Amino acid sequence: MSQVLRDPREVMREEMQMHAPILAAVADEPLTIPQIAEQLGAPASEVVYWVMGMRRYGFLAESKDADDDGFFTYAATGRQV
Amino acid sequence: MDYDVLVVGSGIGGMESSIKLADMGYQVLLVEKEASVGGRMILLSKVFPTLDCASCISGPKMSTTINHPNIKTLAYSEVEQISRNADGRFNVRVREKAKFVDWAACTGCDVCQKECSVAVPDQFNAELAPRRAAYIAFPQAVPKKAVLDRAGTSPCIAACPAGIKAHGYVSLTRTGKYEEAFQLNLDATPLVGTLGRSCYAPCENGCTRGQVEGTVPIRMIKRFVADRHYAEADGPGVEAAAPTGKSVAIIGSGPAGVTAAWQLARQGHKVTIHEAKATAGGHLRHGIPAFRLPKDVVEADLANLDALGVEIICNSPVTDLQALKDSGYDAVIVATGASREAAWSVPGADGANVVSGLAFLKDAAASQADRLDGKRVVVVGGDVVAMNAARTALRLGASEATVVAEAAKPGALACNEVEYTEAAAEGVKVIFATAVAEIGAGSAATLRCVPASANAPAATEGEDGDSDETATDASAAPSAPASAVSSLEADVVISCPGLEVDETLFAELAGVGNKTRIAANRRSLQTKAKWLFAAGDAASGLSTITRAVGSGRRAAHMVDRFLAGKTLDGFELDSKLSTTKHREVLGRHNQITHRDPVTGQVSLVTKPTDFAEIEAPLTEDQAHTGSGACLDCGVCSECQECAKKCPAFAIDMSQRDKLTDVEVGAVVVSTGHKLFAADLKPEYGFGTYPNVITAMQMDRLLAPTRPFNTVLRPGDGKVPDRIAYISCTGSRDKTVGNPLCSKFCCMYSIKQNQLIMGALPLADVTMHYMDMRAAGKRYEEFYTQAQDMGAQYIKGRVAKITEEPNGDLLVRYEDIDNGGGIVEASYDLVVLAVGIQPNRDVEKLFGDTPLGLDEYYYVAEPSAELSPGQTNIPGVFVAGTSAGAKDIVDTILHAGAAVAQVAAHLEHHHFAAEEALV
Repeated sequence: MSQVLRDPREVMREEMQMHAPILAAVADEPLTIPQIAEQLGAPASEVVYWVMGMRRYGFLAESKDADDDGFFTYAATGRQV
Repeated sequence: MDYDVLVVGSGIGGMESSIKLADMGYQVLLVEKEASVGGRMILLSKVFPTLDCASCISGPKMSTTINHPNIKTLAYSEVEQISRNADGRFNVRVREKAKFVDWAACTGCDVCQKECSVAVPDQFNAELAPRRAAYIAFPQAVPKKAVLDRAGTSPCIAACPAGIKAHGYVSLTRTGKYEEAFQLNLDATPLVGTLGRSCYAPCENGCTRGQVEGTVPIRMIKRFVADRHYAEADGPGVEAAAPTGKSVAIIGSGPAGVTAAWQLARQGHKVTIHEAKATAGGHLRHGIPAFRLPKDVVEADLANLDALGVEIICNSPVTDLQALKDSGYDAVIVATGASREAAWSVPGADGANVVSGLAFLKDAAASQADRLDGKRVVVVGGDVVAMNAARTALRLGASEATVVAEAAKPGALACNEVEYTEAAAEGVKVIFATAVAEIGAGSAATLRCVPASANAPAATEGEDGDSDETATDASAAPSAPASAVSSLEADVVISCPGLEVDETLFAELAGVGNKTRIAANRRSLQTKAKWLFAAGDAASGLSTITRAVGSGRRAAHMVDRFLAGKTLDGFELDSKLSTTKHREVLGRHNQITHRDPVTGQVSLVTKPTDFAEIEAPLTEDQAHTGSGACLDCGVCSECQECAKKCPAFAIDMSQRDKLTDVEVGAVVVSTGHKLFAADLKPEYGFGTYPNVITAMQMDRLLAPTRPFNTVLRPGDGKVPDRIAYISCTGSRDKTVGNPLCSKFCCMYSIKQNQLIMGALPLADVTMHYMDMRAAGKRYEEFYTQAQDMGAQYIKGRVAKITEEPNGDLLVRYEDIDNGGGIVEASYDLVVLAVGIQPNRDVEKLFGDTPLGLDEYYYVAEPSAELSPGQTNIPGVFVAGTSAGAKDIVDTILHAGAAVAQVAAHLEHHHFAAEEALV
C-alpha cells in the first residue's frame, strides 16, 4: 500500500471522471476494489472513494457476501453514466 | 419583540432547549447552520449504554423541533451577530443562506443528487465518501430538502461575455455527458462549434487551474462536444416554446444576429433574418479563413436555426427600418456588425493592384480569389483582418506576405497575440511602427513608408480579436521607433484600415451614438424607436465574436420582454454570485497533484499551401483528462442537470442570502463542540495511512445509513479482522494543548467495540487505553459486557503506528498490566478515539459584549455549581458541550438547566413575545 495519500477532496472530485473507467472495468464480471485498482492502475484507497460514491448514487452494487479474503465484489447496476 | 428566545444550534442540546421552552409557551427561534436539524447525534450509530438507535431518539425530537407551533426553525442559516440592548433584549442578525432550491416545492426525492456532476467530501459521512454539490444532508434529514452547494460563480463562467456556463459543460464532459455538455452551450448560442474554434477563451484566463500548472482546455472541450454532436446527432435536439404570435426581424446573420434569432425562436417567436450577402454567417463565413474556422462548422451551427423554424433570407439588404417594421414585424434587431472598412486616404490607394482586406477574405472564403503564385503581397494594417489576409495570401501562393503595421510592437497590434504569433510562424513578416504614405502606380507598386506617428491608432478595437483585453494601445508606447524600411515593392497591396459600423441604415431612425454606433441603451439595447433594438458590434463597436454572442442573447431577452409588455429594467440577465477567488479555491486543498496540461495542437508550417484547419481536435481521452483537471471553483458547476431533471421544478438559481434582524428576550448558545483533528498526532498516522480512521468515521461505518456497504477499511475495502482502538487521542494530552478529558470517548469506544463484534462476529477488537472512565449509570456494566463479548482492553499508551506493505498497521505500545513491556501488534484497522475541542465559532456571535470563555475556550459558566447554564452576559445561556465535554445524557440535563434559567430570566424581566401576549 504505502503511497502518499492525496488530498481526499481531490480524489473525490475525480469520482465523476472515473465512472466510465470503473464501469468498463466491471463490465465483464464483478470485481473487488483491489482488482478494480489494478485495472485502473490507481491506489486502492482512492478506488474506495470512487466505488463508494458510485455505489451510493446507484451505479454499482456489492455482492451479498465478502470472499474468503474479506473483499466484496462490485458490479454495475445498469444505471448509465 | 419577535421571539422570546433565540437558540443557536440544533444538536441534541439545542433541540432539547427549544422543545422545552416551546412547551412552556415561549416563542423560540432556532437557527441551524446545516440544512437539517439534529447536529452530530443523528449521525451516530447507537447510543451508550442502552444501544438504542440514535435516529430513534433524535428523529422524534427533530420532527418536534420542526413542527412545534412555538418554534420557528431556520435551517441552513447562521447567526451573524447578537447585540444586547439597554433594556436587556437582544438584536440578532440572521443570515438565511441561499439554498438555490425552493423548499416549498422540494419533495426530497433526491433526483438532483443523482444528476449532479460535482463530487465533494461528505461532511455528514465524516468525509469517508463523496456527496454531490446538490445534496440532501442525510437520509433522515429534517426537513428533508435539497440544497445546492455554491461557493460563488466559477471564474470561468464569470469571465464569459456570452453567458455560457463553462464550468457546467466541463463538469458534464468529465462525467462523459457529452451531449448534455453540448446542450448547455446551446442554452446560450447555436454557435457552439464556431466558438469552440474562434473564441479567445476569456474563461481560460479566469481558470484557477491556470494558477497551478496550466488551464483547463475549456474552449477545446467546447469544440470536442460540438464536433461529437454534429458527427452523431441530427439536429440540435431543442424544441421551441409554443408560438407567441409575435414576429421579429433581425438584420444581419453574424454571431449577434443568429444568437438573437436562436433565443427568440426558442421563446416561440417567429424570427426572420435578413442578410444582405448571398450566404449567411456574416463575418464567421466571410471574414475568418477556413484554416481557422471551417465553413462546414459554421454551416452546422447555422443549421441549428432551421430546427427552430428561423428563416434566413439572403440577398436581402434592408435600407428602410420603418418599412421593414411596417411589413408586419413586432420588433426589429439591427445586428449588422462592423462591416465597413474605414476610409484610407493614402495616395495611390485606389490603384489597380490594391484590394480591400475584407473583399479579399470574402473572395477567398468563396474560393473566388485569384491565385497569387510568386507574387509579393504587402498587407497594410495591424488588425486580425490584416493577419488573416496575409496568411490567406500565403496559402494562395504568394512568395512573401509582409504586414506593415503602425503599432510599435506585437503587443500593440489590434489583434489577439495568437493571431500574430501564428502568422509569424507561417512566414508572415511584420514591419512595426511604420505607415504607408504613398502607393506608386504600376504592376509592381512601390510603397513609400514613413515612421508611424507616436499616437498611431491601435488596439482599441479589433475584428474578432479580443483586442480590447489583450492588446496594448500603441499610444502607451513612449515613442514610436523609426520605420525599419523606407519603401517596399509589392505586386499586390491589401488594405486593412480597420472596420467600423455603417450607420446609414439606422442614423435617421435611431440616431448615432459613439463613433458610428447605433444610439441604444447600453443595458436594454433598445433605441429611441421602442420596437428597434441593436445587438453586437452595431451597438458596442468592434468587439469579439463571443461578446457579439452575449450581446445577441441580451438583445433577444430584451425583445422578448418588450413583446410581453414587461419592463426592461429591474432585473439581471445573468445574475451571478460573486466570483470565487483563486486563493479560496486553492485554499480548500491540502495539496493539488500536478497534471500535465492538455493543450491544443496547432500545426503551423512556413508558407502553408492549403486551407485545412490548423488546430487538431481533442481526442476523447484528452477531453476527459482535460476536463478532469477542473477544480470546481464554485463547487456547483451550474450544469443545470438538476434543474432540468427536478420533477418539482424546485431548483432556483436566483436565490440569494437573506439577512433578517429580529429582537429576542434571551439567547441559548448550543453550538456544540468540534472534534480533535487527528492528524495533529502524526505518530498515529491519520491522513497518512488510509486504514487509520477516527471514531466518528467508525460510527458512520456502523450506522444504518453508512457510506460503505458494511464496516470496511478505507485503504482497500477489506472487511477488517483485527481492529484496534486508541483512546485519548487529542485529549488529556498537553502536547496538543488539550489537557482535558473528553468524558465520553471511553464509552463510545466501548459502544463501538460491541457494535463491531455484532456486525463482524469474527473480528478481534482491542482497545489501548490510559484509564477507563465509565462513571455513569450502567456504564461500568456496559464496559464489563464488552469484555464478556470478547473485546480486549490493554492499559498503556501507544507510541507509534507504522504501515506494513499490505496496508496492515503495526502498533507499538506499552502493556502496563503485563509487566510494562513495549509490544508490537499488527491490526487491519486502527480507530482513534478522538477527544473534543471547543467550538470557537461562538466567539464571533457577540459583538459589543464578548461572551466569557474559560481557560480552555469553552463558554464559561461563572457559577456553574449554583446556576448552570448562565454565562457572563445577562440573558445569554449555554446548553450542552459548548460549555465543556458532556455525553448525551449530561447534555440533555444541562439543556434542562439552561431552560430553567431562561424561563426565570424572562419571567423576572417580564419579557414576552408580542405574539404570545395577544
